[in-house]
Amino acid sequence: MTKTLDAIVIGGGSNGLAAATTLGRAGRRVLVLEAAESIGGVGRPIEFHPGFRAAPLGLDAGWLPPAVARAMGMGIGDLVDTEPAVGVTIASGASDPLALPCNPRDAADRIRHHSAKDAERWPEFVARLRALAGFLEALYELPPPDLDAGLSFGEVAPLLGLGRKFRSLGRDDMTELLRVLPMSVQDLVDEWFEYEPLKAAIAAAGVRDIRQGPRSGGTSFVLLHHLVGAPAGSVNARGWWRDGPDAFSVTAEALARKAGVAIRTGAYVDRIIVRDDAVTGVVLANGDEINAPVVISTVDPARTMLGMIDPVWLDPEFLHAIRQIKMRGCTAFVMYALDAVPEVTGLPDPKAALASMVTLTPTTEALERSYDAAKYGRVSEHPHVEFTIPSLRWPRLAPEGKHVLVARAQYAPYTLADGATWDGPRSSSLTDCVTSVIARAIPRFANQILGCAVMTPVDLERKFGLTEGAVTQGEITLDQILFMRPVAGWGRHAMPVDGLYLGGAGAHPGPGILGGAGWLAAKRALR
Amino acid sequence: MSPTTTSKSNGRYDAIVIGGGHNGLVAAAYLARAGKKVVVLERRPLVGGAAVTEEIVPGFKFSVFSYVVSLLRPEIIRDLDLPAHGLQILPLESTVTPLDNGDYLAGWADADETRREIGRHSPRDAEAASQFGRLMHHMAMAVKPILGMVPPDPASLAPSDLRGLMKLGGHFRSLGAERFHALYKLMTMSSADYLDEWYEFDPLKATKSASGIIGTFLGPRSPGSAYVLLHHYMGEIDGAFRAWGFQKGGTGAISESISRAAQSFGAEVRTDAAVERVLVRDGRATGVALANGDELSAPIVVSGLDPRRTFIDLVESKELPADLVSSIANFRFRGSSGKVNLALDALPNFSFLKDNGGYRSPLMANALRGAVSISPSVEYLERAYDDAKYGEFSRHPYMDIVIPSMIDPGMAPPGKHVMSIFVQYAPYKLNGGWTDEKREAFGDAVIDTLERYAPNIRSVIRHRQVLTPADIERITGLSEGNIFQGELALHQLFFLRPAPAWAKYRTPVKGYWQCGAGTHPGGGIMGASGRLAALEILARGA
Repeated sequence: MTKTLDAIVIGGGSNGLAAATTLGRAGRRVLVLEAAESIGGVGRPIEFHPGFRAAPLGLDAGWLPPAVARAMGMGIGDLVDTEPAVGVTIASGASDPLALPCNPRDAADRIRHHSAKDAERWPEFVARLRALAGFLEALYELPPPDLDAGLSFGEVAPLLGLGRKFRSLGRDDMTELLRVLPMSVQDLVDEWFEYEPLKAAIAAAGVRDIRQGPRSGGTSFVLLHHLVGAPAGSVNARGWWRDGPDAFSVTAEALARKAGVAIRTGAYVDRIIVRDDAVTGVVLANGDEINAPVVISTVDPARTMLGMIDPVWLDPEFLHAIRQIKMRGCTAFVMYALDAVPEVTGLPDPKAALASMVTLTPTTEALERSYDAAKYGRVSEHPHVEFTIPSLRWPRLAPEGKHVLVARAQYAPYTLADGATWDGPRSSSLTDCVTSVIARAIPRFANQILGCAVMTPVDLERKFGLTEGAVTQGEITLDQILFMRPVAGWGRHAMPVDGLYLGGAGAHPGPGILGGAGWLAAKRALR
Repeated sequence: MSPTTTSKSNGRYDAIVIGGGHNGLVAAAYLARAGKKVVVLERRPLVGGAAVTEEIVPGFKFSVFSYVVSLLRPEIIRDLDLPAHGLQILPLESTVTPLDNGDYLAGWADADETRREIGRHSPRDAEAASQFGRLMHHMAMAVKPILGMVPPDPASLAPSDLRGLMKLGGHFRSLGAERFHALYKLMTMSSADYLDEWYEFDPLKATKSASGIIGTFLGPRSPGSAYVLLHHYMGEIDGAFRAWGFQKGGTGAISESISRAAQSFGAEVRTDAAVERVLVRDGRATGVALANGDELSAPIVVSGLDPRRTFIDLVESKELPADLVSSIANFRFRGSSGKVNLALDALPNFSFLKDNGGYRSPLMANALRGAVSISPSVEYLERAYDDAKYGEFSRHPYMDIVIPSMIDPGMAPPGKHVMSIFVQYAPYKLNGGWTDEKREAFGDAVIDTLERYAPNIRSVIRHRQVLTPADIERITGLSEGNIFQGELALHQLFFLRPAPAWAKYRTPVKGYWQCGAGTHPGGGIMGASGRLAALEILARGA
């Protein structure tokens, strides 16, 4: 580095690229440091079997807030596939899978085979979810309101707009939002529906990547969080990037470079240097020291605060709060290289359905039971498995005619009881377990497997640097969002060391909101 | 049992209160005190609802359902001069948790003793305990004004609602960020997670988190349980926080004191007077029809019953907007607790009390004057919840045990005792439904569990009364046997209790009001719902 830098961004994922581009477009000299050999962060595809690639943490396209797209100079219209997502529930062994197309009338037609009453209520239900998720969308484009934030006028004005948005939800939706957020997703689906596989299909998104079951309070919020940016009518998945799971980061990288951002891959940041309560730069694992008055870390808050900074610069209470963040990775991924597309009978449009999110857990009780094991630090013997076949959308992920199936399995807690560890035998027994769950729904599945790879929370931690393998960088529970994210009172991205900002999923607005935290952190740094 | 007034009236009243539970009685007392001509109609032969004392076996008096008190609002005690009418709370001075290794964990009235005791198990926790106690005190203080507030409707633009919201906003700002955040955490976290941030000794966390599950169909690890913990921390006797007590003569004597206060202001209290329905003409309440065919008229009718009875059973749904009917249909009751009352020939020999024939500590000589909590670990409680989640009663339940006769000898014949065991979880919706056999099996599970801690318990039991949620519903009328008239879940509190837009004690039927624990701020013999409802009626007329 010959020229002095204005800012260093740690991490070249969606948030890092959004932060860097925002700063770059404001005329700042920025360097992105990415530990991996390629950019894309946790959502990047990896080769798990010769010729077969998958992005296990990129199954969900996430939501790119329009404000972030604007700030990055990105036109998202060309990037996102508008083809409606289809959520599918397959009750093991049943010949009658439930497919839920986005069009509410089409979905209601499918539901009607099982319950006329549920079919009747479906359009109203999805419309309600859309209205509530829409409110979160507005909330997620703003720094979180807080009690003593000392808001500037520039920040108060949009908050007033938020108040208007809140009121424009209409009296019913507004009260409903406040009522629904703390509810369990079980209670929510019980209020609306009677057909179990339908309830389970909805509840699945309510427990995604959280160590709670559908009966736990706050899981309705988790559902809504996952539906932020989702197409109307979807209860399970958001849209897709047309050109591949990494389409966003490829485009973002180009925009970042256009904005003058320098990007260095293979650059593992060992620690952040602090002098006199202010950040002065970072030290890489190879010993290089790079100086800048501003550092935006998109690494999770635990690793940033506990792993990269000398604790003498941090208040013990702050450190205590950071240590208390519930990370609790509990999701494992199994990636399969397949000889052919598995055959599922009874689906009207199998290709579209299998390219969407398929859940194999037919009842909310089964979901709850799979959670029980995790409470006591054990791996579910009957895990909740969801899968998708991304190669149906993006054939280049696999050799011609071959396919990739990615399964997510809950619950596989990072922390195991009684001193047990995630060793080889435990990982392979989880893999067998997931394989047999899929094979129960798709009888010929086992014979189609050419190879597979598992990523337990411990593997995720090792591969992606996620503390406790938490893909959320901190569970999205009500006590860990908004002004509570990453910890109470520090929700506005500036950390208690001058020049240090947190801009990853561990900061507001959290995981799945592409660039949201990085952009807000950069805006804060520009103030 | 004091006789209740049954003086005949001409059948015209200013206000009729349905249900002689403590909230109905409080509402009646406040209305009468303001000069209204009031009658309270109670279905059972005695007033009190779930706060009754009954002599189930000759000479043995039981606080059959609700058994301890601490949440009764001090302003009610003052306004109604309840001590003059018989209110006398005897403090419960300790809680002892027997440990699996034969040792115990005790909490005493004296904070220093408690700290010493916790320090015996974990010096770090002893240190944390003082800080935690201070924080919870502040939290209870922060919530207190809200308990005394008619919930404003956040969706309304009416001046009174906006004023209420401003007041609320001002209140939160006045807390300062740190306390506001702590309160926010309590509102949203699980009690186990919340306590994990403070303590390390598992039986301590379990015993504290137990108060987060009482009356609620949640496990200690489920978000939302921390609020219930706070709800139970708000107890106040003579201004001292977190002091639970026992009414002399049993909980029924509390109800009777309120009843006497109401009567002293001129209210009439009728027992054996079951109300069948509320009479409505042109969208207006005009009175009530009793089960015996009598009709009483009044321009104000106040229901102290739970929301399901108030809106579904007592009035026809055509009188109500459809969204209210569906809100009430979705209101969660799911009783999760049962009660076992024992008449004992002698004190049980709790093994944690003594070691080699002598008391383990001088303080243990008095331990049975307090509560015994069967909550050896958080996992124990969570597993108890797992049974209930899938429709079974807990094989190894959480139990809160008190022996009222130790503090109030009048509750049992000389030398004999009564024991009250609050048990969780016993789901209302048991697989296959509650039968006599299931009830006895539930009772057996309780005694089996107790036997592990008091080996001679079977030999001293003279009589056993087992109450399942189905029994609680049948006897008291509480829907699904929920002791709070509906779960204290976050989505059923404040302006959502019992339903959006109908949390201000009013109903869509003019002149028809609600005053039970199914309204803000909820159950626990607080009386706050009854008081707020009465004040609202007086301020806004019919």
